[in-house]
Amino acid sequence: MSNAVRRLIVVGGGAIAWIAATAFMRAFRKDALEITVVDGGAPDDDPVGYWTLPSQRGIHSLLGVQETDLIAHTGATFKLASEHVNWQGRDSRFLHAHGQIGPQISGAPFYKLLLIESLAGRPESPEPYSLAAVAARLGRFARPMGSEKTLTSSFTYGFHLEAKSYVAYLREHARRLGVRRIDSPIANVTLSDGAIAALQLSNGEEISGDLYLDCSGSKAQLMSCICAGERDDWSGWLPCDRMLSTFTPAQSAPSAVTQTTAATAGWLWRAPLANSGMAGYAYSSAFQSDDAALAELRMYAPGESPAPVLRRFSSGRRRKCWEHNCVALGTAAVELEPLAGAELHFGQLGLATLIEIFPAHGVTAVERDEYNRVMAEQADALRDFTLAHYRAGPGRSGEFWEATRAERAPARLTDKLDLFGANARIELLDFESFEELDWAWLLMGSGLRPDAIELQVRLRLESLTSQTLATLRAQIQQLAASMPRHIDYIKGQVVRPR
Amino acid sequence: MSSPLRIVIVGGGTSGWMTAAAFAAVLRPDQRHIHVIESSEIGIVGVGEATLPHIRFFNKRIGIDERDLMARTQATFKLGIEFADWARVGDSYIHPFGAYGSRMAGVPFHHYWLRAQHHGQAAPFEEYSLAIAAARLNRFELPSDDPGAVQSTFGYAFQFDASLYAAYLRSFSEQRGVRRTDGKIVDVQLRAEDGWIEAVKLADGSVVTGDLFIDCSGFRGLLIEQALHTGYDDWTKWLPCDRAAAVPCENSGPLTPYTRATAREAGWQWRIPLQHRTGNGYVYSSNFISDDEAGAKLLSRLDGKALAAPRFLRFTAGRRRKTWNRNCVAIGLAGGFLEPLESTSIYLIQIAITNLIDYLTDASQRPAGKFDPRTVDAFNRWMEMEYDRVRDFLILHYHATERDDAPIWDYCRTMDVPDSLKHKMELFRQRGRVVTYKDGLFLEPSWLAVYLGQRVMPRSWDRLADGLDGPELQHQLRAVHEQVQKSAERMPTHEEFLSQYCPASRPMMAVP
Repeated sequence: MSNAVRRLIVVGGGAIAWIAATAFMRAFRKDALEITVVDGGAPDDDPVGYWTLPSQRGIHSLLGVQETDLIAHTGATFKLASEHVNWQGRDSRFLHAHGQIGPQISGAPFYKLLLIESLAGRPESPEPYSLAAVAARLGRFARPMGSEKTLTSSFTYGFHLEAKSYVAYLREHARRLGVRRIDSPIANVTLSDGAIAALQLSNGEEISGDLYLDCSGSKAQLMSCICAGERDDWSGWLPCDRMLSTFTPAQSAPSAVTQTTAATAGWLWRAPLANSGMAGYAYSSAFQSDDAALAELRMYAPGESPAPVLRRFSSGRRRKCWEHNCVALGTAAVELEPLAGAELHFGQLGLATLIEIFPAHGVTAVERDEYNRVMAEQADALRDFTLAHYRAGPGRSGEFWEATRAERAPARLTDKLDLFGANARIELLDFESFEELDWAWLLMGSGLRPDAIELQVRLRLESLTSQTLATLRAQIQQLAASMPRHIDYIKGQVVRPR
Repeated sequence: MSSPLRIVIVGGGTSGWMTAAAFAAVLRPDQRHIHVIESSEIGIVGVGEATLPHIRFFNKRIGIDERDLMARTQATFKLGIEFADWARVGDSYIHPFGAYGSRMAGVPFHHYWLRAQHHGQAAPFEEYSLAIAAARLNRFELPSDDPGAVQSTFGYAFQFDASLYAAYLRSFSEQRGVRRTDGKIVDVQLRAEDGWIEAVKLADGSVVTGDLFIDCSGFRGLLIEQALHTGYDDWTKWLPCDRAAAVPCENSGPLTPYTRATAREAGWQWRIPLQHRTGNGYVYSSNFISDDEAGAKLLSRLDGKALAAPRFLRFTAGRRRKTWNRNCVAIGLAGGFLEPLESTSIYLIQIAITNLIDYLTDASQRPAGKFDPRTVDAFNRWMEMEYDRVRDFLILHYHATERDDAPIWDYCRTMDVPDSLKHKMELFRQRGRVVTYKDGLFLEPSWLAVYLGQRVMPRSWDRLADGLDGPELQHQLRAVHEQVQKSAERMPTHEEFLSQYCPASRPMMAVP
């Protein structure tokens, strides 16, 4: 067929570009697709690194990346949880762990027992009932193991990744698999009937393809040429528009935790690497000057080495992530503060969806519409979860913090928070990346308490005795304490010859 | 513990007794006081004699023994629905309760089939489904628990006498303390300050008060509409049938483990085989045929001798704007009507009941006489989604046709369908992609059955299905085909299985 999609051109040199190129390489037959990465280098405002969701494990296995090898070569560490500090006022802190809270009791989730207790005036944290959380608090780590429903398999994990070494690792991996790379920026984009006809590169080459993936980051180098790019603007809800990020000296025994701390005009964060650390500040320029923000970051993370990188962004999404023959992946499609650790995840969702409906025999309007529909839902779901950090619970005072609650939240988030507030149910829509337990961690941690609990759930949880709970806590404590220290686990990863 | 929730159920029938039984089973006696008011003067519609596999979860949740139930309701097994004459006269396909083949390398089976079929190297799609293979052979056995076995790739439902099911649930409920009053409601008393229902007044002058009123009064919506004026979304422009004639007849021929829906000159005809008789009906549009003619056509197309004169019903396809309004929840036909083409009536009753139960909170935390509007809104959102998704699926049956031999088919073939359905169909035509969702009825195999059964053919397939080389694909398809066909042939006949599993113990009469 003449309009078959055979030549795929990936533009961009960051993590998502290499992940996309490699994923396509592995998903389709060798003779079906010709994949070229036009690598103009990683965007220079890329943050120094990422913290990821557990979905990164799946991506690594899809790409054929060995985790131990990756860790040994990039200095990455594991992530069992995020810790959110001061979000509900001074000295508040809670974990959002990548793990279960207690067992299911006759089909009823255990965390609801804690809500019942809290309604009875006996508030209790979910953390002692979660192996991931206890291990995170103790600075311990081991991979989950054992069969389903055992305590030792009751959690999962994400990663802390330093951007440059991660990108270098992925690039090398792609090269070995045979992905073609042209090392040149783009000088000009030629259009024909609104679609991309060819790319003229700075090195004098010209290249054209059947489908283009724009992985060039927030500047959306290709997308911005082919359309004005109608956007849904989220900055009224999520006013942060700057991210400073930098490296810090290594902590002596870092736990497998990303920490965020509510600050004057946004939130500070830190995450461990094997031989150093990363820190940053996401803030709103409307509420703090860049200089003051920098000073606040320095107070939080003293001794940072190179000058912090500044990224400017504006929260929102493209109405259409796919226009003509060009698909925007990652930050080229959606800009969102990385509070939930979903930056790479969103790009990968786009990639997975595209592979599923890959327009092998030519781009069609209906498939483009479907992609845009699905990605809009996915993006809105990530926005809602991010926004819920600001909107759930009593919140904190301050000009910036009050502004984040000033506008009416999107209806789909309001519905969710309302229902939880009424009867403790968590209502998930299609295409939500975060599951019931993620919401439970966040909403309970934020101090949101339902006014009542579902009767059916109460009936099922009645049988639990305080003795059972004490035994569960003790088991978890013991198991977590028997894990190696996170840093020792990292250093113990065997380096395999590449 | 606070005082029990007083639940007043207006109307018996399938929906009323399912509701009563479920509340009686899952709430403790000290938590509820259930009162069913039904009038023996008002007939039960009870056309929903064929069910979906979901009913088994409902029965299990409330603790009903399936064999006992089947024996007492003249039940047969149901593996799917045969659709005859829908895309073209002479066509037949079965919408199975089960899968076609299984995923290979993460890619749905039908993409491999589309590829092989394109090269003329595949058997008909239905031959890869065990549910269909067994149905075509009139065979049945219970599915296996071993997820690796081909015998685990199907589910089943029942074909039963819905009035016997209601009678069964009535005795189940009464044993658990449900109170029943035979009486006709003459007035609904609303609370002055907020218009909530306070009580219903019966013809004998007695007054029944309650906290929660369940409207199971059928089409007319005695509480939800006549008292609360909730409003109704009319879907007749997409689902034009507004009448049905129903008649039982004598059994003849083998007992099929499936229901049949045959497209006719002004609608469609159902055929539901039970142990003791066959239920039949003609669902039609009064725009295209008269009642007399429809009744005559129905009688002329029965398998056996008619056992009664046809009964006629009227309805309007659509959904009540709010299933839950103030302290009233409409369940069954009071909540909406979708024709029984895909046996969804009992499913929609069941999902309303189980959601209501799951959303209810402990009375000790509920201000007296109040339900949290946030809970009510969420419940309504859910029910809206359920109805809308069933609606699209039903419209597909009417719309995906090539028939031009009758005005109703001309209308349906060319009508403007909801955008949500238009998108789904166009996407499938392109490359065989089925739009799926997290909640709601009808998963990928159901859509596949109807699309392919009604000649909506994809132009191409998922390119990931090119991953297997040709000979390997041939080998895999042959293996699935052989497994499916052999497994079906090894099953006992439907009648043999019924006679040892759940023979109807004695003929029972429907409770009027």
